[in-house]
Amino acid sequence: MQTSRARLFKEYKEVQREKAADPDIQLVCDDSNIFKWTALIKGPSETPYEGGVFQLAFSVPEQYPLQPPQVRFLTKIFHPNVHFKTGEICLDILKNAWSPAWTLQSVCRAIIALMAHPEPDSPLNCDSGTLFKAIFCALGTSEAINLWRECILGLLPHQRKVDLCRLSIRW
Amino acid sequence: MNHPEATTDTSSSSTSSNGNPCPICLGPFLEESYLDTCFHKFCYKCIVQWTKVVAKKHFPSTSVKCPLCKRENFSIIYGYDGSSFQRHYLTQNSEHRSFFSREHKYRLQCYYTEPGVLKDIINVSRYWKSGKYLQQNRWLLNWLRRDLQALMQEEEVDIIVHHILGVIDSFLGRTNQIHHKGLPETKQEEFKELVSNAARPFLAAKTDRFVQELEMFLASGFNIGAYDEVYLQRLGWNTTRSTSEDTEGETNEHTSVVPYLYIFDEDSDETD
Repeated sequence: MQTSRARLFKEYKEVQREKAADPDIQLVCDDSNIFKWTALIKGPSETPYEGGVFQLAFSVPEQYPLQPPQVRFLTKIFHPNVHFKTGEICLDILKNAWSPAWTLQSVCRAIIALMAHPEPDSPLNCDSGTLFKAIFCALGTSEAINLWRECILGLLPHQRKVDLCRLSIRW
Repeated sequence: MNHPEATTDTSSSSTSSNGNPCPICLGPFLEESYLDTCFHKFCYKCIVQWTKVVAKKHFPSTSVKCPLCKRENFSIIYGYDGSSFQRHYLTQNSEHRSFFSREHKYRLQCYYTEPGVLKDIINVSRYWKSGKYLQQNRWLLNWLRRDLQALMQEEEVDIIVHHILGVIDSFLGRTNQIHHKGLPETKQEEFKELVSNAARPFLAAKTDRFVQELEMFLASGFNIGAYDEVYLQRLGWNTTRSTSEDTEGETNEHTSVVPYLYIFDEDSDETD
């Protein structure tokens, strides 16, 4: 459909023009297909994802912007609201709360915000959700963040995770 | 072209070259339209398409949340030309308004046809010359109610009906009292102006046509059923029986083959 193409082209021009505006997001359109985009986003500071760069894949439907784009993580990420295997993201604005006023750029910003503030109550990664809650219920904030970082980086042995979840039930 | 100043607010493209584009298509505004509560601006086509998407999901919907601020809105204001505007009520997306019958639909469509359909049948100037206008028209109340409901697409129009009736009554009262020897043309002008002024706050751009139709109905001396019959015949929309004499009457769904114009379905581009 022509409207989606025209709108994506406007976004493309905006991205080119505003490249320096948001150093945390780098949006790139596929060379041959304007409906396929990838983004590199920086892990938000003061979170365990800080220092990491995460790749997202956008697949834009023809009805865009009346329909939301499909977005998933290509980079493996341990996060309560991201499916560990598929990279699927559970985020309301990508589903029911979508508004045509969102852009690919602002969707990236929303995903960065989700990385900083997980929603453990609607997990796609149940282990991660449980663990996140376990860690943050059981421990003081700074200790929890460190432990959470270890979880995410895959440094925490499996047995330790299981113990943590058990402990949280007892606490 | 690089803009050195980085935008600090979150609304994207606020620094774009063409000022503030439509938030939906990101292009310049085509047929500027506003939502009635928050007054955020969109292209007419863009926002109507969005309301249709919303209507499909939440059926039946009478409101839409603004894509920008999420406030609830009930109509789209468009076609503002400095003095008047048009309104697209979101209920129009669903055909399930209880009060809005086929008859209302037909009348609304009449207002989008060329004026003067009945000119050669109904002699308006004789109506004024003969002084026939001094007689009460007992169908007027129902006719007013129906046409106002159709035009405004609102059920509750009684206040406006009685306002217009009051204006007409006082005009007739005055004319009767003074036994004014004015020319019928002056009377006609006065009448039309009075009704226009009374109706304009509610009908805006549709006022003039409404007054024409009202005059035509009064001059015809027909009741509503007969008037509709003639009207439909003239437009070539005639069917065996498409309107009932009673305004409250239900029309038979299966007998109608009226080639309706579907004024509001102009962009049903569901194809990809």
